[in-house]
Amino acid sequence: MLSEGVKRGNRKDLGLTPAGDPCVEEADLSRRNMLYGLGALGVASMSGALGLINYSEEAQAVATDSLEHQWCRVIDLRACTGERKCVSSCQTRHGLPPEQTWMRVLSWQDEVGKEFFMPVPCQMCENPPCLDVCPVSSTFRTPEGIVLVDQETCIGSRACMAACPYEARYFNWSKPAETNRMPAPSPNTPEFPKNQLGTVGKCVLCADRMPYTNELPSCVDACPNGVHYIGDFVTDVAVNGRKTVKLSTFLSENNAVRFKEELGTNPRTYYILGNGQPLGGPEGAVK
Amino acid sequence: MITTADPIQAAIRPFRKASVNFWIAIGVLSAIVLVGIFAWVIQLRVGMGAAGYTDRSFWAIYIADVVAFIGVSYGGAVVSAILLITGVSWRAPLARLSEGMAVVTVLIGAALIVPHLGRPDRLMNMFLQPNFKSPVFWDFVAITTYMLASFVFFLVPLIPDMAILLEEHPNELGKRRTTLYKFLSKGWIGSNKQHKTLHGAITILAILIIPLAVSVHSVLSWAFSLVSRPGWHESIWAPYFVIAALYSGVALVIIVTAAFRRGYHLEEFIHERHFIRLGFLMAALGATYLYLTFADILPGAYLGERGVSQVVFDTIAGKFAISFWLFIIAGGVAPIILVALPQTRNIWGIVIASVLVVIALWLKRLVMVIETAHYDRLTQSFGDYYHFTWIPIAITLAATAAIPLLLMLLFRVFPILAINEIQEAESEEEALQASKSTSMAMKASVGALILVAAVSAISIVGATPSVAAQDNISLTAITSGAKVTLTATVLNGTVPVVDAPVDFYESTKMFKPGTNPIPLGRELTDLNGIASLTYTSVVNGPKNVSVTYYADVEGEPAIASTNIDINGAISPYEERAPKLLAGAGQVLVKVLFTLVFIVFVTVIAQIVRLRRVMRLQ
Repeated sequence: MLSEGVKRGNRKDLGLTPAGDPCVEEADLSRRNMLYGLGALGVASMSGALGLINYSEEAQAVATDSLEHQWCRVIDLRACTGERKCVSSCQTRHGLPPEQTWMRVLSWQDEVGKEFFMPVPCQMCENPPCLDVCPVSSTFRTPEGIVLVDQETCIGSRACMAACPYEARYFNWSKPAETNRMPAPSPNTPEFPKNQLGTVGKCVLCADRMPYTNELPSCVDACPNGVHYIGDFVTDVAVNGRKTVKLSTFLSENNAVRFKEELGTNPRTYYILGNGQPLGGPEGAVK
Repeated sequence: MITTADPIQAAIRPFRKASVNFWIAIGVLSAIVLVGIFAWVIQLRVGMGAAGYTDRSFWAIYIADVVAFIGVSYGGAVVSAILLITGVSWRAPLARLSEGMAVVTVLIGAALIVPHLGRPDRLMNMFLQPNFKSPVFWDFVAITTYMLASFVFFLVPLIPDMAILLEEHPNELGKRRTTLYKFLSKGWIGSNKQHKTLHGAITILAILIIPLAVSVHSVLSWAFSLVSRPGWHESIWAPYFVIAALYSGVALVIIVTAAFRRGYHLEEFIHERHFIRLGFLMAALGATYLYLTFADILPGAYLGERGVSQVVFDTIAGKFAISFWLFIIAGGVAPIILVALPQTRNIWGIVIASVLVVIALWLKRLVMVIETAHYDRLTQSFGDYYHFTWIPIAITLAATAAIPLLLMLLFRVFPILAINEIQEAESEEEALQASKSTSMAMKASVGALILVAAVSAISIVGATPSVAAQDNISLTAITSGAKVTLTATVLNGTVPVVDAPVDFYESTKMFKPGTNPIPLGRELTDLNGIASLTYTSVVNGPKNVSVTYYADVEGEPAIASTNIDINGAISPYEERAPKLLAGAGQVLVKVLFTLVFIVFVTVIAQIVRLRRVMRLQ
C-alpha cells in the first residue's frame, strides 16, 4: 500500500538505500560543507556589519573635540514668585496648546503657609535617558549639549516619555492648531520645531537663538525677576537678561544643586535654593 | 490511548463546502475587525487623544494589548515545542492548533504596535535609523525573529501532511490548495531519510523557539523596566513577563482547542485528558505567577520608599484595588481551584478557568501599564489616569475577533490536525518506545539551556586713565599666560583713597552683541589706594578688563579699562567620564546581533536541509 509508504517512509516498500549507505553519507557531507560555507559567509558579512555599529558614536566623539560652547541653565529659586511668565512666553513662542507646557512651575506651601515655586524645564542631561530609549534615534544631543527631537523622524513611540525622570516631554495628542508662530527665524528644524500630530515635543532651550548674543531664550527674557539664567561652561559665563555672572563662581558661592542627581543623568540645569525649600517639593506639589 | 478515528478525514472536513454557520461566524468576526480598523483610521485623523491618552497616561491599553497578544502566542510555542522536546506523545493532536495559534496571535500582537505609535507611517525608520541602545528597537528585532521562527515551525511539520493529503485525497483539495500543497511539499516521498531530516529540523526549531519566546517577553518587559519609573524599574519583570506569557498562553490554547474541538468535531482526537493535562500545566504556571506577583510587590512595599510604595499602595488598596484583587481571585486563585477540585476538573471547568485567566491577565497588564505611567515623578503624585474611549475598545475587540477569524481561515487552507505526528505518536505508543525519545529530549533540553544561557549573556599694556568727578581710578593689567593680575589705583586728586570697594570685570562676547562684562570680584584699596586681583582667564583672544568704583551710593561710578590679549587659556569645562558600563553596552550589541544572525541562519538552514533531502529523491 503506497499510502503506508508515504506515511511511514517504509524503506522496503520503496526500495530505498538503508541509513548507513555511502550515498546518504555523501549527502550528509555535502550538506555539512554547504552549512560551513554558509557559516563562513555569515561570519564575514557579520564582522563587516558589526564594524558599522560604532559609527555614530565615533562621529559624535570627533564633534565634541572642537567645543566652543557648552550650554547650561541656572534657576535661582530665591527670586521666583510664581508668575509663570516663563511658561506663557514659551507657549507663545512655540505655538503650544494650553495643556502643553515645555516648562512646569511646581508650587507648594509649607506649614506656615509660605509658598514655594520651582520651574522645571528639560534639564538637558549629559546622559539623557530619553536619548537612549528612542528606537529611531530621533532624539539627539547637539555637540553643545542641547537635547532635541527631530519632528520629521519621530515615530511617536513615547519611549522617551517613559524614560524622562523630569517628565519634560509632551506628546501632540491632537492636531496642533495653526498657531501664530513667532516670526519664523528658521523653518521647521529640531531647534525650532513645528508641532505635528503624533510626535513628541520638549524644551529646545530656544536653540534657534544660539549662540544667544542677540536674543536669549524666551523664558530667560520673559522672567521679571531674573530667575532663569542661560550659561556656558566653556566661557564660564551666565546671564539672566540683566545680570552677567561668572558661572563657576556663581554656582559654588550659592551652593547650586541639581535635581535628582542620584539618577546619574548629569543634568545641565542647576538650582539655587535658599528659601529653605526642598528640591522638587513635598509629595503632591501642584503644577 | 489509541484512536481508531482517521485524522485525515477530520483534517480534511473543514475543506469541504462550509456550513451557513461557518460563513455567519466569518461575517460577524470580519465586521468586528472592520469596526476596529475604522476606529484606528479615526484615531489617525483625530490623534491619539481620541483614544483617551494624555501626557500622564502616555502608555496604556495598546501596549497592554501588545504584551497580552504576543504573550498568548508563547502558549502555542509551549504546548508544541516544550512538549515535543520533552517527548510528550499526547501533544500530537494539539500541535497544529497551538502552532497555528502562536502564528496568528504573534501577527496580531505585532500589528497592535501600529495603533500604539503616534506616526505609524514612519515605521520604516526602525530600519533606516535604528538606535541599538533602545529596548524598543530590540523588541522589534526579537518579535521579528520569533515571528519567522514560529512561522517556519508551523510550516515544516505541514510538509508530510500535505503530501499525504495530495496522495490520498487529490480530488477533495480543490485547485488552489492542490497548487499550494504541491509547491510546499514538492519532493516529499516519506522516505526514512526524509523523516529523519524532518525530525531533526523540527527538533532544532522547537529548541530554538523556546529561548526566542523567552527573549521576546524579556525585551518587552525591558521596554518598561529600563526606565527609572517606580513600579516598572524592577529586575523581576523579565521572568515575570515570561511566566505571564506562558500562563495566559496555555489558557488560550485550552480555549482555542475547546472551541475547535466542538466546532470541527475533533472529539475523537482531543479528549478530556488533554484538557486536564493542560489544566495542570496552567495551574502550575498560575501558582508561579502568584508567587512572582508577591515577590514583585514585597520589596517596594516593605521599604516604604516614596514612589514605589505609592505605586504599590495605589495598586493593592487605592484606585486599582478592585482590578488588582479581581485579578488575584479570578485570574489566580479561582483557576487553580477549578483545576484542583475533582468536581470541576472537566472540560467545562478548565475552559471557564482558562477564560478567567486570559481576561484577568489582560486586566493585570493594563493595571501594570496605567498605574506607573500616570505616576508623576515631579509632583510625586498621580496625575489623571487613562480613560477608555470607544476607539481603543473597538481596536482591542477587533484584535480579539481576529484570532478566531484568522484561525478559521488558516485551517481552511491547512489541515487542522498534524496527521503525520498523530500517526507517529500512535505507532510509538504501539511500540512503547518511550526510552528512546527521552534521550533525544535530554539532548534537546541541554541544547535549549545552552541557548538560553547564551542569550542572557556591552597675555603689560598702557593704562588709560579715566576721569571721575572727584575720585579717579586707574587700571593696569599684567598677563602671564592665562593668569591676569589687575591693579587698580583710586586717588582723590593725588591722595590715595583707602578702603574703597573696587569691582573688577572681564569682558565676554557671550550673551550680548558687543562686549558683556563679567564681574570677577570686589577688593578693597589699601593705604596706597591700590587694590589688585589675580584671576585666570578661560577664553583666548583680545578682551577688555575694567574696574569700577562708586564714590557715592547714588551717582556715576569711576571707571577705568584696558585691553589685554590672552593666550594659553584653558576652559574649566571638562567632559564627564562616560556612564559606567557604557563600553559593555557596545559589546552586548555586537553579541546580540551575532546571536540574532545565528538564529536566522539556523532557521533558514532547516528549510534548506529539508529542501535538499526533498530534491535528492
